[in-house]
Amino acid sequence: MKIKGRVPTTVSGWGALALFSVLLLVLPSSFLVIRIFQPASENWEHIREYMLQNYMMDTLLLAFWTGLFSVAIGTALAWIVSAYDFPFRGTLKWALLMPLAIPPYIGAYTYHGMLNYTGVIQVTLRDHFDTEVSQRYFDIMNMPGAVFIFTIFLYPYIYAITRAFFARQATSLVENARVLGSGPVRTFLYVVVPVARGAIVAGVTLVVLEVLNDYGVVSYFGIQTFSTAIFQTWFAFGDLDAAIKLAGILMGIVLVLLLLEKFLRGRRQFSYSNTKVSPLKPQSLKGWQKWLTVAFTGSIFCLGFVIPVAQLTYWSVLTYEDIFSETFLTLIRNSALAAGTAALGVVVIAVVIANFTRMAKGVVPAVTSRLTVLGYSIPGAVIAVGVISFFIYLDEKLAALYDLTGASSALVLSTSLIMLLFAYIIRFMAVGYNSIEAGFDKIGMKFTEASRTLGMGWTETFLRVDLKMIRPAVFSGFILVFVDILKELPLTLILRPFNFETLASMAYRYASDERIQEAALSSMFIVLVSGIAMFIFHILIEKEPN
Amino acid sequence: MHVQISDLCFDYSSSKTPTVSDFSLHMQEGEIVSILGESGSGKSTILRLIAGLETPKKGCIQVGDRAFCQGDGVYLPVEKRGLGMVFQDYALFPHMTVEANIMFGLKRWKRAERKQRAAEMLELIHMEDFRKRYPYELSGGQQQRVALARALAPKPSLLLLDEPFSNLDAHLQQRIRDELRNTIKHTGTTTIFVTHDEEDARVLADRVVMVEKGAVKQVGRPCDILKETFRGQTAHVEA
Ligand SMILES: Nc1ncnc2c1ncn2[C@@H]1O[C@H](COP(=O)(O)OP(=O)(O)OP(=O)(O)O)[C@@H](O)[C@H]1O
Ligand SMILES: [Mg+2]
Repeated sequence: MKIKGRVPTTVSGWGALALFSVLLLVLPSSFLVIRIFQPASENWEHIREYMLQNYMMDTLLLAFWTGLFSVAIGTALAWIVSAYDFPFRGTLKWALLMPLAIPPYIGAYTYHGMLNYTGVIQVTLRDHFDTEVSQRYFDIMNMPGAVFIFTIFLYPYIYAITRAFFARQATSLVENARVLGSGPVRTFLYVVVPVARGAIVAGVTLVVLEVLNDYGVVSYFGIQTFSTAIFQTWFAFGDLDAAIKLAGILMGIVLVLLLLEKFLRGRRQFSYSNTKVSPLKPQSLKGWQKWLTVAFTGSIFCLGFVIPVAQLTYWSVLTYEDIFSETFLTLIRNSALAAGTAALGVVVIAVVIANFTRMAKGVVPAVTSRLTVLGYSIPGAVIAVGVISFFIYLDEKLAALYDLTGASSALVLSTSLIMLLFAYIIRFMAVGYNSIEAGFDKIGMKFTEASRTLGMGWTETFLRVDLKMIRPAVFSGFILVFVDILKELPLTLILRPFNFETLASMAYRYASDERIQEAALSSMFIVLVSGIAMFIFHILIEKEPN
Repeated sequence: MHVQISDLCFDYSSSKTPTVSDFSLHMQEGEIVSILGESGSGKSTILRLIAGLETPKKGCIQVGDRAFCQGDGVYLPVEKRGLGMVFQDYALFPHMTVEANIMFGLKRWKRAERKQRAAEMLELIHMEDFRKRYPYELSGGQQQRVALARALAPKPSLLLLDEPFSNLDAHLQQRIRDELRNTIKHTGTTTIFVTHDEEDARVLADRVVMVEKGAVKQVGRPCDILKETFRGQTAHVEA
């Protein structure tokens, strides 16, 4: 009398839908893997012989130094804000997150515009102080400059994760260290940093992934990384096969990074069940220490947010009349359309997959959810190459169909907006999925089960109970993805259809044509939207009781 | 309705020892049976198996003339079983009013009949004035009564209650216990309820099933076995 583990039909319906979505998400990347091993072209031989080493060096150097400085600044800030009390602490606590609202490529040309010969600093020095300083002291279009830009706009990843960790975990350990007579610096280096290692590593991984993903900063500064190399081989040489090989190597670097993360996080898990969860009581700082702290934290905030925003605002005011036109409204419409559609796609797919993984048990759902979030660690240029080769392949397969319908060109899908939207969805799936999965986790299974005992099937339960209850999570997932897409650059540049400009791509175009002031209004718009979104989320998170 | 459960076996994939082993139970129509056992003895799991929220490894469940699960591949999903279940923490839908919660299980009814049935249930639990409230605007005892009304509204063939009093304070427990028994007896619903409190079983149950480590240890009328256990305990203390 054995009962087989029968899968009810609705579950298999949801499962089929979920598996199909996941398949679509991973298909372009698998395409890359297959095509990497195709015979090399002439270009590739040239690249391998003369360029590859440079790409490798510049990419790794950039990632390494940015990672190092971000850890130093992010961790120090998180600790200062958690452990000490000083004037403006309440404001700085969230203000220090705000640099994240400025995409590094916008930060890069803003700083360049301020520091170049006609920029505000040189002009002020000349006109008011009568000093002529050699421009080479103000040149940031080089490796150290790029490290500065990435560090100042990306450290908040580490700051945010580490601070959240301190808020939950650190109390008893740190209090013990203090009781044992260890001074603040010793406590920080020998207790705080090791204990927070997992959080720091998680944060720095995000930072390095962002650096590897970047195209805007490095191409603007003329640094040769894998992202710029992939762009060049594809756009300048039109050599997709060589681009695929470069993408493969970049994927290898990401893989090593992720393995390194796993290794560095270590097996030691500091679970908060064994430590009392009470917030760390901040110590009041006195005298010069107090003001030094304010000056340090305040100047990071100024460098990462106040100064660039002030400069962008000034430029926007200067160029407003010329720039704000029908064309600009089209940019806004394009951006909103692309981000809105893709974010909707992300949210719908995320809900389907997340609901499947909670209703079915076993290996398949577990693997499914891992694959879903994979895209976030893949650099934009790699996704772009994968998606392009996938769509060109589709176009080849569908050529016969196009002939029948009398389409004018052989490339229909690979020149359409669908390709860009598809790439956005792959890249930002994880952002939406994590939010929605957290929403499901929060409500648990009991309402679903209650509904089912009252005669509702999975699908009805989903529509009448689950979906209503996870609405906030769906909403915040949508907003997060929307903002991320608004800021996105590499995918947009490679995959946008001819003549389809977004705020981000237009800002980048202006800036690379050295029309920095004209880039300001689009940039300001992006910064404003993501700043407001971040501010709202911050308030929501802080207000929430749990 | 008449209930026949035989040789139910189950284990969670993560556990090595069986969580439920060879659980059998036969019930008369309208009978109230209490499953009594210590924490972790598998009481909730048994209830979830009957409800269909977990799939048993083997065994049969038959309610009335309908087979819920059987060896030959018959397995009825939860929503097809027509059971009522009251959860330990009630699981009232927070985004629906009391009335909407009670009407939730009546999807195949006509609108007017749904309203009518909800009114009946509200009267039964003496909460006519709370129709438009939301669950968070109710006290623990009131929530418990709404959960009961929601489970009873579709006229279930079998009612399952998991620790229905554990969230109530002692004083309230006593009052609600009597009320609950009256309500259930009034509707004549066959009922299984899980508890770890002997007093609950004594007041409510027609029959008690004692479980230990997922297996039936003893079955009998409350007055018989509960006294025995009581004696057993005193003997233990004296020894
Ligand atoms: N989802 C699960 N996965 C794995 N093991 C579980 C799960 N739920 C319960 N168990 C285990 O199964 C056993 C029986 O649990 P069950 O919840 O049925 O006990 P119970 O008698 O209802 O206890 P209580 O009185 O505390 O509610 C316990 O050992 C428990 O740890
Ligand atoms: Mg239980």
